[in-house]
Amino acid sequence: MNTEQLIFYFFSALLLTSALMVVSIQNLVRSIFLFFVSLFSLAALYIFALADFIAITQVVIYVGGVLVLMLFAFMLSNKELLNSLQPIKKSFKFYQLIGIFICLAFLFVLVSLNLQIDFSNLSWIKSSNPIMESDNTTHTIGILSMTRYLLPFEVLSVFLLMALIGAAHLARKGKKT
Amino acid sequence: MNFYLTYVLVACALFVFTALFTLFALYSERKISAFMQDRLGPMEVGKYGSLQAFADILKMLQKEFIIPTAADKILFILAPIIIFVSVYLGFAALPWAPGLIPASLNLGIFYIFAILSIETLGILMAGWGSNNKYALLGSMRSVAQMVSYEIPTGISVLSVVMISQSLNLQEITIRQGILTSDAINFLGIWDVKAIGGILAWNVFQAPHLIIAYFIYFIASLAECNRAPFDIPEAESELIGGFHVEYSGLRFAFIFLAEYSMMFLVGMIGVVLFLGGWNTPLPNIGSLSLANWTTGIGWGIFWILFKTLSVVAMQIWIRWTLPRFRVDQLMSFCWKVLTPLSFLCMLISGIWRLTMM
Repeated sequence: MNTEQLIFYFFSALLLTSALMVVSIQNLVRSIFLFFVSLFSLAALYIFALADFIAITQVVIYVGGVLVLMLFAFMLSNKELLNSLQPIKKSFKFYQLIGIFICLAFLFVLVSLNLQIDFSNLSWIKSSNPIMESDNTTHTIGILSMTRYLLPFEVLSVFLLMALIGAAHLARKGKKT
Repeated sequence: MNFYLTYVLVACALFVFTALFTLFALYSERKISAFMQDRLGPMEVGKYGSLQAFADILKMLQKEFIIPTAADKILFILAPIIIFVSVYLGFAALPWAPGLIPASLNLGIFYIFAILSIETLGILMAGWGSNNKYALLGSMRSVAQMVSYEIPTGISVLSVVMISQSLNLQEITIRQGILTSDAINFLGIWDVKAIGGILAWNVFQAPHLIIAYFIYFIASLAECNRAPFDIPEAESELIGGFHVEYSGLRFAFIFLAEYSMMFLVGMIGVVLFLGGWNTPLPNIGSLSLANWTTGIGWGIFWILFKTLSVVAMQIWIRWTLPRFRVDQLMSFCWKVLTPLSFLCMLISGIWRLTMM
């Protein structure tokens, strides 16, 4: 096993364990900070897919934006709210059976697909030209989003503007009556 | 295996540099503030108190680690490490001289901003982990301020990127001096490719970038939590802010992060706007000063000189201006800096299309 594979498996393991701990840990603040670990290792995995721009965007948006927002909302809320959260009981319930069933079904689909398909010989993978490590992906993304994907790009920006105006409207003080 | 050794050596060199810079900045901050307030400053340890910073570090190393009983121990211990590492990782993509850059990333400047945004998380961690209301208030203020001021910073940086057409900091620097292969136009009209020097810097290639630099400089002060934007640490209200519970080496790391951040934002500003490692001396006829003063040694000298001047400006401003109020801080960011930086970005786009 070479160094790249070692790093890849290290980050995959980190991602899986931290994601499991995010949902299982009782302490809410620690779980948000563990969420940071899983998002960060996800960014590392994006780099292995040669999507460095997406990896960095992941860190900017999720760590710098979403996580900080979550922590803010958490810290501004009442501390009594946390005490009222019931610790999860360990006993087995019927509704958990449904969840387990769905998970197993998904696992079955994934495993069977993985066994059936020969990934190295797929025609649409062979016909497309692969991304090289030396490629400047940002350049390509910039040109494509200004030419081929201009309409979705503009629609998204209008959508974000709508969200911004809506947020500003909600945050305004109401008229004094 | 040799290049792994190089990586480790470069990382160690950068760490030693941040530590030495912090010691130097500590001493110079005391001396400059003393000069501005008509005092002498440290005078006892060494000649003119020049060993004062080493004495301080020695004192800090000896101190006991105190963890408050009600603190969240894991978060409390991890926070200073995350704060320092996020700033320290930012140094990886900064160019020091022609051909001398720890990691020449295609996404250099974007990477630095992504890594720096992790610092806010470390500050929230410290504030929450301390289980102290002053620490929590300080960290909330700090994060609110840093997140808001990231917007004018980012937009003013974008207006440079639009002019330079690259996110790679080394390429942005090369495009501001005599080593470039593209055309450089002083104020968009006079070709100064062979002359170089101060005329080729980004702020003089496109004059609206001077405004962008001022926006960047003000916003970067706020991002380092330095006066006049130091409400997160306001001693008179918050007894020191998010790091109030930290002692010894852990406090030293937060301190190290703060001073490294000063250097880092100063250096980013220098690279983006003020020519990076390019010399300020132009070629005048047969007196080719720019050719003589470009090289690896000169590059390191120029970038250190420029960045330390910017740091001196930051210290000067800290001891001159009083602290902003919270509402003034926010309205200044959202009503003055953000629209101005958007205007700069708009002018950059038009400039790129019409003048270049």
